[in-house]
Amino acid sequence: MTKVLVPTVCPYCGAGCGFFVAVERERAVGIEYMPDHPVGEGALCSKGNASLEILHHQERLTSPLKRKGDGWAKITWDEAIGLVARGIGEAIRDYGPDSVAVLASSKCTNEENYLIQKLARLLSTPHIDNCARLCHAPSVVGLNRTLGAAGMTNPIPDIANSRCIFIIGSNLAENHPVISRWVHRAKDAGAVVIVADPRETHTSWMADIFLQLTPGTDVALLNGIAHQIIEEGLIDRGYIAERTRGFEEFEGSIREFNPERAAEITGVPADDIIRAARAYASSPASTILYSMGITQHTTGTDNVQAVSNLALITGHLGRPGTGVMPLRGQNNVQGACDMGALAEFYPGYRRADDPGTIEHFSAAWSAPALPTGPGLTAAEMIGAAASGDIRAMYIVGEDPANSDPSSLSVKRALEGLDFLVVQDIFMTATAQAADVVLPAAVWAEKEGSFTNTERRVQWSFKAVEPPGSALPDLEIICMVARSLGLDFDYPDAASVLAEINMTVPQYAGITRERLGKEGSLVWPCPSPDHPGTPILHSSGFRLADGRASIVPVPYRPAAEGRSPEYPFLLTTGRVALHHNAGSMTRRSPSLIGRVPDLFAEINPADAEKLGIGDGDLVTVSTERGEAQAAARLTEGMKRGVVFMPFHFPGTNILTSEAADPEARIPEFKVCACRVARRD
Amino acid sequence: MAVHVDIDRCIGCRSCEVACQRVHGGSCHVRVHFVGGIASVPIFCHHCEEASCIIACSFGALFKEGDRTAFDVEKCTGCGLCSLACPFGIVWTDKIAEKCDLCDGRPEPTCVATCPADALSADGEAAPRGGQVRAGRSASSGGTR
Repeated sequence: MTKVLVPTVCPYCGAGCGFFVAVERERAVGIEYMPDHPVGEGALCSKGNASLEILHHQERLTSPLKRKGDGWAKITWDEAIGLVARGIGEAIRDYGPDSVAVLASSKCTNEENYLIQKLARLLSTPHIDNCARLCHAPSVVGLNRTLGAAGMTNPIPDIANSRCIFIIGSNLAENHPVISRWVHRAKDAGAVVIVADPRETHTSWMADIFLQLTPGTDVALLNGIAHQIIEEGLIDRGYIAERTRGFEEFEGSIREFNPERAAEITGVPADDIIRAARAYASSPASTILYSMGITQHTTGTDNVQAVSNLALITGHLGRPGTGVMPLRGQNNVQGACDMGALAEFYPGYRRADDPGTIEHFSAAWSAPALPTGPGLTAAEMIGAAASGDIRAMYIVGEDPANSDPSSLSVKRALEGLDFLVVQDIFMTATAQAADVVLPAAVWAEKEGSFTNTERRVQWSFKAVEPPGSALPDLEIICMVARSLGLDFDYPDAASVLAEINMTVPQYAGITRERLGKEGSLVWPCPSPDHPGTPILHSSGFRLADGRASIVPVPYRPAAEGRSPEYPFLLTTGRVALHHNAGSMTRRSPSLIGRVPDLFAEINPADAEKLGIGDGDLVTVSTERGEAQAAARLTEGMKRGVVFMPFHFPGTNILTSEAADPEARIPEFKVCACRVARRD
Repeated sequence: MAVHVDIDRCIGCRSCEVACQRVHGGSCHVRVHFVGGIASVPIFCHHCEEASCIIACSFGALFKEGDRTAFDVEKCTGCGLCSLACPFGIVWTDKIAEKCDLCDGRPEPTCVATCPADALSADGEAAPRGGQVRAGRSASSGGTR
């Protein structure tokens, strides 16, 4: 019997590991590793190893459904698409195109995301976004401003060339496990590793210097480090003079911010701040890796800018082993942003409020009336749904009812819509609120390109057919678009990529043909003979005069602080065996079997005062609601702080909607809470 | 021959467990143990030179095959004596004995190939890397650094 090995890209995190799906008699029968893959070298984390469990899962959606009383009725694709056309069409007719909002998916391919945002904009609604809003919107806003590009500056394997690795607000050992191998390779060659996190994590196990800061005090820590670097003359004066602007103003803004002051705010000893400053600034090549511990704050954009300030004053950019590295959480969250599935950007990060952008795409798409942005962001759409400004939503592969903060109010808002269509692979909490549910294909049941966190674009091939009458998202989007009178004539993903080559300059040279021959390409790749650009900013920045901006970042406290009623700070995050809202991993037997329930980590000294023992059921409550969890007592947790993973529905009942004023990301990482034993 | 662990590199992700389970029809022959929250050590069959499990087995189901401690499922009665005999607690019995076969028939053990942190190797002769010794010491003293 012949076994065919089909190359695919892992459907979980943004590392973009490749593996082969082994197919026999049109069934996926196993996984084979890919030892020559540039990022994973054949390795795969627990989620990647368990990915086929999703492919064959009995709860997969296999037919379009419409709401019928309290249940669901299976319907044909014709009827489903008719209902979608009517639901969205009526909202446009009665309330105008502004009353429709669309959520694209950071799980879908570049081609699918390109089409989803094109569909929204051709319907004349500016309200298109994706869940990048909930993870790296501040990186998009902050890094575009300071460095002129929002992606990771250097490739993942290049971390091995670094001599000092500063990891802040990232538990990469659990969330991007393969990146650990590159950190260790650098350590083997003598690199110093600094980890800043409110919790001891498997990532801090790798640290030489561990900075256990209070949640929400990142700017204070980063400013304190910058102060010490300037104080000791460890800045790169030549680099600052040639490549940047704004240093004097920045220097003035942190003159008072010595390590002692930073220590007071962050709870990190001043000596450790000084050690970290010296290690980072004096190494020949230092890199900063960060993730949602930096971005998911009301000061998210400030945090990102404070990170880029450190790199700019020390000149740790544009060379091997250096860089500013936002680690992105989903397999195609980078691509969804590149494709313009964002409220403030058209494809290729062209600003939605720039008349030039509108003119450009009006010509490219032969569409005279494109909407000017920025539109509503993901979280704002939910607010507008609650207030009645948004009447109809089309949600593709996202689960805001679980992934957004204050999730009880999200559910109410979704249920209040006149019309909601959800396209997904499982009946998620969001789909439960829909009028029509459309069954989609998973990664191995379709083809297309995915862009990983290091801007590497890879083609993923179709291994098997989707179950029942489920269809690839690309086909569904085209059917929906045509039913709404749009001319969406795309026979396959390759034909969409050909259009992307024409309209997104960073992807101009990333053709379907080259992705087949050369395996993968790293954008920007502006022409068919361009080799791609693994390291950004090696010869200046794509900003005025080619200079990056150093930006003063004043410290602001988080939106919520401890109070007598809510004396703890709740911070949220992930574990190695689950992914995001958990609709896939909570259905995957070998993953959920290992981490079956929601837990809350708490310091044993805090627990003792509350009479809580390890494993006790506790109720965690905030102003927004309460959730049950099993207490996990750990010395690695900072006193006064509680940690809960957000893979289970309880956690986001608690989190706050308070958002960054610019990037509109909610502050998932800090809110005030109370913990009590459940008797 | 056995799978060797660099404790300094282990990130406790349990990928070895899931991968082992994937290629062994749902049964897993690795257990990742946690020390003090953040230090972690996967425990594998050591394929001992003088294996207690072989001595304990009255039915010849466990035997030496080169460097490997091999297992013949046909001869196993599920009595569980091998589980009691194993000094590392890494042979267990669920109807029949379950133990590491070093992925017989594959080019290398699946756990070694899949380990994201590059913490596992099938080559015990490799020189200890970077912080391996230091990590071992700190794991044995409670798992803090």
